[in-house]
Amino acid sequence: MAIVNRTPDSFYRPGLTWDESAALERVHAVIAEGADILDVGGVPAKPGPEVTVAEEIRRVVPFIERVRSAHPGLVISADTWRHESARAMCAAGADLINDTWSAWDPAIAEVAAEFGAGLVCSHVGTLTPRTRPHRPAFTDVVTDVLDRVLLLAERALKAGVDADRIVIDPAHDFGKNTWHSLEITARLSELTATGWPVLLSASHKDFVGETLGAGLDDRLAGTLAVTAVGAWLGARVFRAHDVKETRQALDMIASIKGDRPPADAVRALA
Amino acid sequence: MIVAAAICPSPPLLAPELTGQADILPELRAASAAAVARLLAAAPDVVVVAGPAETTGPCDPAGRLSLASFAPALRQGRPLADNSKKRHAGPAVASPAVIPSAVAPSAVIPSAVAPSAVIPSAVAPSAVAAPPLPLALGIGAMLLDDAGYTGPRKLHGIAEGEPAATCLALGRQLAASAPRVALLAVGDGTARRSASAPGYLDERAAPFDEAVARAVREGDLPAIAALDTALAAALLAAGRPAWQTLAGALSAAAPQAGYRAAEHQPADRPAASRPHTAVLYSDAPLGVAYLVATLIP
Repeated sequence: MAIVNRTPDSFYRPGLTWDESAALERVHAVIAEGADILDVGGVPAKPGPEVTVAEEIRRVVPFIERVRSAHPGLVISADTWRHESARAMCAAGADLINDTWSAWDPAIAEVAAEFGAGLVCSHVGTLTPRTRPHRPAFTDVVTDVLDRVLLLAERALKAGVDADRIVIDPAHDFGKNTWHSLEITARLSELTATGWPVLLSASHKDFVGETLGAGLDDRLAGTLAVTAVGAWLGARVFRAHDVKETRQALDMIASIKGDRPPADAVRALA
Repeated sequence: MIVAAAICPSPPLLAPELTGQADILPELRAASAAAVARLLAAAPDVVVVAGPAETTGPCDPAGRLSLASFAPALRQGRPLADNSKKRHAGPAVASPAVIPSAVAPSAVIPSAVAPSAVIPSAVAPSAVAAPPLPLALGIGAMLLDDAGYTGPRKLHGIAEGEPAATCLALGRQLAASAPRVALLAVGDGTARRSASAPGYLDERAAPFDEAVARAVREGDLPAIAALDTALAAALLAAGRPAWQTLAGALSAAAPQAGYRAAEHQPADRPAASRPHTAVLYSDAPLGVAYLVATLIP
């Protein structure tokens, strides 16, 4: 799942794809690099200037329409928490709603059902959208995550979302400190064991930075390490800024698992 | 009767185990330890820890901070880093005898890492049977443990929305609970001091924190009692009920004989009713305002 943000102020490489032609070029590039899903968002997760529904739609919907016509087979994910935006984005061609803020707007599941779209069911603890966690504490963070995402998956089913289109996401860093994000990484098998496909969104996040003492531009190795562990434990979708590197890491894990033959096995076989 | 009072903040990172390899804000940890040491120097019959909680009421005095709720990897009580240098041990009050061997088996605490006077009590919280405390009370308990205090303690939670009058009354009641009471009020200032603060930037936050620090520095108990509770809540200043409990407790204390008023105290209030104060730390390096102070009647 390649990230293309239609924002001027996202945390990593802010404004990289703010310009629409740059964003479209980025789409072609990430597809060439091996992305299966494109995740398009118009509002940063961090606190900042308000982005109204109208502005979010203005940033994202025409772009989704252009991507849809250019790449009819691509899975397009709408990164939004507001059902009005989600509806406009699905109408423009989005296939999946990536609701990172854990059904803060409960009507979002109905929109997914209405359009036959997929839905990401995530965990953010007690946060409201675009706020930062302040001293979150859990008796057991994985239990808290499981309770929430399973509840949301159940609700999505009841709302009429196709069971094959529900994804769960523990949401690293959202409502969690670094220790919590490390814990959900180590115990990701408890999420994959539920049978729901698991989305892993760790790319360049603060828990990687804090764990390695690495600045924003120095978190690729840490991100790929988390990606590899997640893939090994059965995660199915990987939200990534660095598509080529992520694809390579995932292909490598798939081959280690025996799910994918090596591309070119000649060594010592002549 | 209050014989000494102190204010400390309650960021989880005061527990050195939670900051990983880095020693974050050692000066804040040192100031907090110094404040608690001054509190204990008053030879109290009991130390009362008061801090914000979900509900108002006493908590189990055997309770401890749950490190694992913040750092699941510490669940097993295994120190992941050498934290001995980060802790500020009390003036050799702790002795190995007060740590039951079942609680802190020697295998958990390598002797070279943690000399007996610096047993990190919070490292082995799982061995303590009592339920985990609200954060502020857990931090208070940890500070007392670190100071080597093993005497009687009471832990009292105050609901975050408790009105000032209730806090003041609670303070008076706690002050009257023993002949010599030391009060540790644990709580934080605003959490909106910068764009990277937990609550994002609010321009009203810095003046609010400055007003609190000034009132504490001047021992101006009526000013603390009169803090704007709605503004405090809007600025995420979780310490407000704890400070007002402290104001209530100190206003019940009779002035000490021989008390000499500080020169900067305004003349419109009887200086003799003001406590001796010292602000040991007042800053917001991470966007949350931390205040450390002592107030001696």
